[in-house]
Amino acid sequence: MGAAQSGPTEHEFQDIADRTGFSLEQIRNLNKRFKWLNNHQETLRREDFEKVLNLSRNPIRAQIIQAFFDKRNFGMNEVGLVEEIGFEEFLTVMSYFKPSNKKLTEDETEALRTKKLRFLFNMHDTDNDGTITLEEYRDLVEKLLSTCETLEQDTAKDIADAAMLEVARTTVVHMEPHEVYEGVTFEQFQQILKGLELETKMNVRFLQVNTTTMHCGK
Amino acid sequence: MEDAWDIACLLIQLWFSVVVGLIMLPAMCGASLGVTEIYIKVLVKTLEWATLRIQRGRRDRPTLQSQLSNGLIDKEDGSMEEEIEELRGSRPKPLAGGEFSLGDASYFCRKGIESIVEDEVTHRFTSEELASWNLLTRTNNNFHYISARVTIIWGLGVMIRYCVLAPLRITLASIGIGWLAIGTTLVGLLPRSREKDWLSDRVHLTCYRICARGLSATIRYHNKENRPKKGGICVANHTSPIDIVILANDGCYAMVGQVHGGLMGVMQKSMLMSCPHIWFERSEMKDRNAVANRLRAHVADKTKLPILIFPEGTCINNTSVMMFKKGSFEIGGNIHPVAIKYDPQFGDAFWNSGKYNMVSYLLRMMTSWAIVCNVWYLPPMTRQEGEDAVTFANRVKSAIAHQGGLVDLSWDGGLKREKVKEAYKEEQQRMYSSMIVG
Repeated sequence: MGAAQSGPTEHEFQDIADRTGFSLEQIRNLNKRFKWLNNHQETLRREDFEKVLNLSRNPIRAQIIQAFFDKRNFGMNEVGLVEEIGFEEFLTVMSYFKPSNKKLTEDETEALRTKKLRFLFNMHDTDNDGTITLEEYRDLVEKLLSTCETLEQDTAKDIADAAMLEVARTTVVHMEPHEVYEGVTFEQFQQILKGLELETKMNVRFLQVNTTTMHCGK
Repeated sequence: MEDAWDIACLLIQLWFSVVVGLIMLPAMCGASLGVTEIYIKVLVKTLEWATLRIQRGRRDRPTLQSQLSNGLIDKEDGSMEEEIEELRGSRPKPLAGGEFSLGDASYFCRKGIESIVEDEVTHRFTSEELASWNLLTRTNNNFHYISARVTIIWGLGVMIRYCVLAPLRITLASIGIGWLAIGTTLVGLLPRSREKDWLSDRVHLTCYRICARGLSATIRYHNKENRPKKGGICVANHTSPIDIVILANDGCYAMVGQVHGGLMGVMQKSMLMSCPHIWFERSEMKDRNAVANRLRAHVADKTKLPILIFPEGTCINNTSVMMFKKGSFEIGGNIHPVAIKYDPQFGDAFWNSGKYNMVSYLLRMMTSWAIVCNVWYLPPMTRQEGEDAVTFANRVKSAIAHQGGLVDLSWDGGLKREKVKEAYKEEQQRMYSSMIVG
């Protein structure tokens, strides 16, 4: 009864709520999920994600898991990877997928889009050099397409190459003959995906769970 | 010293006569004194009162609200194709070969995050959470001190459960099991005849009824006209080993299982003497044909009792029905589906075999309030022309899930212990490839 609680307390939850925009209830639920994933430890590691059976079906699971441990997504302008994360970082990454529940101005919508786009960009740009090179692009396409026999070995490569070429054609206004196309920069990325309604599509709709439940944890 | 001994003897005699008179005899006749019904009614009233007190104690939300089904997020219902189409929107498709678009990755990204927040499979392997507290704090995480009264009631509850009910139940269970072993051995000595079968039925029924009393089980049977008949196969959803006691309270079945050693082995041998059950050696289990043949032979003999099989292969937490293994559906004969649904209010019957072993599980059962469950007998189903075993199995599974109010899942119960098979991992990629490449 009243076991000593390790981890964030209610007071800290309120702080986190103000910072990330989640409601208290959502934070409590996500905290439970966090604890379940990492077996009530302090931090979360990569292996803990293997508990989610549905995730193992996702073609880009490695990238998604990586995104949780990527410092670029923690909003503090650092780079590099970490081995384990705490609840705050978990929530910060989750908040990229949180829809906003208030009416936003033009600027705010734009800022939100940029944030989400940055997340996607970071996921593609694995070596963090600021561009998505042909290799990284090819890597992603290969992951998304099946490796079974119906697909030719080179099809994935061809698709990636064609797509890159297209990107180069549409974004780089002016390319000298001797210039080699480096890769997709963030600005070009933004430009290509201009029509994509990321601010509405890249959302996980967290329910506002309004309950007075007493969980009988057995 | 002698006085104390005399008093002790007297008490023990009293205890046993109460047990025999009030519980065993009615059990043998299949009658009930109605004590359990009254007990359940009192229990329900108490739990409702406790819940309301807790609500009030919380003070912010006064009315009794029930929890939404464990939902954290509202998932989109569209298929992969629909969603990616939407994602691309009205953008022109400038790509030459294959319709690949950079933004498609965000679809998978979102799906991945949704799975991380909530996935429908793994939480079937843990106990169901309740909307209201039932005054049992097993592994206590959420108990807060609400009021003196609730705590007192909880304390009383603990005392009653552990000091009064548990010893009674343990006594009954031991009597039940002991009687089963002895009774079946005695019946087994008789020559084969109709009387022997009748006697064997009686013995089995009595013992299972005593065991059920030993768990304070209240079972409601629905649609008794569909009860499994001889020469048929009975399939049911599996939640715990207690399922066998629940079902055998109302009819006699031939059990199927592995030969064990120790106490179980002794019981298996004695049960085998009185009526034909099917026990397999461990080595035989690997040979699927041999298994199927033995089952088929049993089913073909119309004088033998219906076989009881749990096609899920493992215990699920009674909120859903998982994939039925097709082996039992290839044998032929009539399949009698049975749906079992436990009421979690009074005690969680799910056996989490990773967490508890058999003995601690049984002790938990005996210190719960009661086991209340509903059993529905469904009309018999047979395999139709041209239907393969897997489709048939799914049809039966849907019928059981629908009747019991459980979620029908096609995931394999074996995932409790193993990882997802490689073939399933590729499924999403295959779908996406066919969209892009055609």
